[in-house]
Amino acid sequence: MTQTGTSVLSDAAKIGAKILTGGQLLHDLRDSDVQIATTPKDLVWSQDKVSLFHYRPLAPQRVHVPLLICYGLVGRWTMTDLQPDRSLVRNLLNLGVDLYVVDWGNPSRADRYLTLDDYILGYLSDCVSEIAKRAGVPRVNLMGVCEGGVFTTAFAALEPNRVNTLCLTITPIDFHADTVEDRLGHGFINIWTRSLTPEDVDRLIDANGNLPGEFMAAIFNQMSPMRSLLKYNLDLLEFVDDEQRLMNWLRMEKWIADRPDHPGEAAKQWMKDLYQQNKLVRNEWELDGRRVDLGNIKMPVLNVYAKDDHIIPPATSRALGPKVGTSDYTELALAGGHIGVFVGNRSQTMFAPAVASFVEKHDVAAAKSQG
Amino acid sequence: MNPFDYSKAVSDFWTAQGQALMRAQEQAGKALAEGMKAAASGKIPLMPAMPADLSTGAGELAGASKSVMDLWAAATSVCAKLATSVSAGTGGDGIVEATFRKMVDPRTWMGGSGELDEALGRMAEGPRFADLWEAERRYAGVLQAWMNLRRRSLEHNAVTLEAWLQAGRRFTEQLAANTNAADAKAALALWVETANRELLETQRSERFLQTQAAMIRATTELRLAQQDLVEHFGKQYGFPTRTELDDVHRTVTELRRELREMKRQHTPVTQQPTRRAVARQRETHT
Repeated sequence: MTQTGTSVLSDAAKIGAKILTGGQLLHDLRDSDVQIATTPKDLVWSQDKVSLFHYRPLAPQRVHVPLLICYGLVGRWTMTDLQPDRSLVRNLLNLGVDLYVVDWGNPSRADRYLTLDDYILGYLSDCVSEIAKRAGVPRVNLMGVCEGGVFTTAFAALEPNRVNTLCLTITPIDFHADTVEDRLGHGFINIWTRSLTPEDVDRLIDANGNLPGEFMAAIFNQMSPMRSLLKYNLDLLEFVDDEQRLMNWLRMEKWIADRPDHPGEAAKQWMKDLYQQNKLVRNEWELDGRRVDLGNIKMPVLNVYAKDDHIIPPATSRALGPKVGTSDYTELALAGGHIGVFVGNRSQTMFAPAVASFVEKHDVAAAKSQG
Repeated sequence: MNPFDYSKAVSDFWTAQGQALMRAQEQAGKALAEGMKAAASGKIPLMPAMPADLSTGAGELAGASKSVMDLWAAATSVCAKLATSVSAGTGGDGIVEATFRKMVDPRTWMGGSGELDEALGRMAEGPRFADLWEAERRYAGVLQAWMNLRRRSLEHNAVTLEAWLQAGRRFTEQLAANTNAADAKAALALWVETANRELLETQRSERFLQTQAAMIRATTELRLAQQDLVEHFGKQYGFPTRTELDDVHRTVTELRRELREMKRQHTPVTQQPTRRAVARQRETHT
């Protein structure tokens, strides 16, 4: 047999062994084996479908003012605690931060009339009140993620006296700033939403009640078309026989699959007021009849964005800087994309320490000003 | 047929389909009017002859369909050429080669946009209803919306197919110029890069966005037409309708909102005025 022929057979044998091992691993695994968001926490408050959890400490508390993580209605907060060695939550707890997270639940058609006003000035406001009451402090630290960052931004602008510091992560502020860099494959949701008319959005929600999670999943998949085609064949084959990598991948799959429907009226506001009409950065957005003026954000701000975020292009986040009413504004640029901020290797050593340091620095100031 | 110039074929197809639909609608409307006239005069109306209406113009439709099929054949021919550009023995990686063959198949590309179509379809295509003549107008509305969705979907898929053909052409050119991409893995990487770029560029094009928006619009209208039909039956048989449930949900949401506000007023922990107080204040000042 020729050398080339031997090599071909050898390669084929290796791939065969890979498939056999991987097949056995997948056969033996059950869905219950794939766990995400496992850091211990307690339910401390709930209303309708909204739940507020308080994490149990993993280290002596170093920051007295609690920090509330607020994810959006697209996707779920569990990304912040995907697995023990890739967990923003665990990293913050290990650094002595007193940590809470709000879970918006699984909105159904019955929730189609909930508005962003309800979420921001209703549920989020009540969460802040509950945390402040429990901790005995007048104001809390807020950390908003993506759409949740818009929630916390609006809340901080409308209720500045109840927010100690504002930390934003991959948060859109100027929804039309995707055109600043105009990178191929970046900002497709901005472009797509602008290709619809406001009437299209109204009819879409009228017909479906909510903005279905699977619909948004299809739009997200369009953003990396070829990657989506390779995902379940060649990509999977690369590591299917490596149990640790396979489990990491399955945990991410579990998070992706958990995509709640976005309540209809809130989705109309999200798509029309913000993505289409860009009212937030123009200080024209109104919630419960109150105008959201970014200049009212006078507390310290840490704005974290991902350099290669194709969903929230950096310029859409960085637009906040010139708009806030404080000089204590800091930006942190992390390598990687939208999800890499939470699960990337470098983020594990940069992200949580930066946030912990930020809240700790202003924790001392807050304590002094109270004392 | 020139695979890069198929707009005429698609245009012919739509024209023929549109003409057939208009003829069908015209005859259905005529039958409906006659039925209503008969009912008004106390006679028993006859069922309209829908199948005959829909078959009108079938010859033209078949002709137009053939043109589209010719285009498809051209696309698959390009696919075959791309697939054979990677030698079966080179590199010795059968799985990569098989994946490559699958990925240069135009059906895969159509499936890419089909994912959105499928997601929309799942939302749009509810249970089917018998064509009871009393609901004829609504049923026709559903049929019309369904045909429109098929048309818009095909229009959108045609844009995607064009992108695939363009990607195939670029890939072939690059493969010819790049001798390093002779083995299956390198060819696959080149194809992924080329096709990804082409599709992403297409997705930003006005044509792609417009046809996609039209498809979403058509899906929405189909779903609303289906709901209209279902509500008709719901009312007839005393079932709760979507509109009634939405009314209840709206009421519950508003009541919960008021309840939350009342609770807040009884446990004042905020330093800012309450939502309702602000609203009242605004009313007072205006």
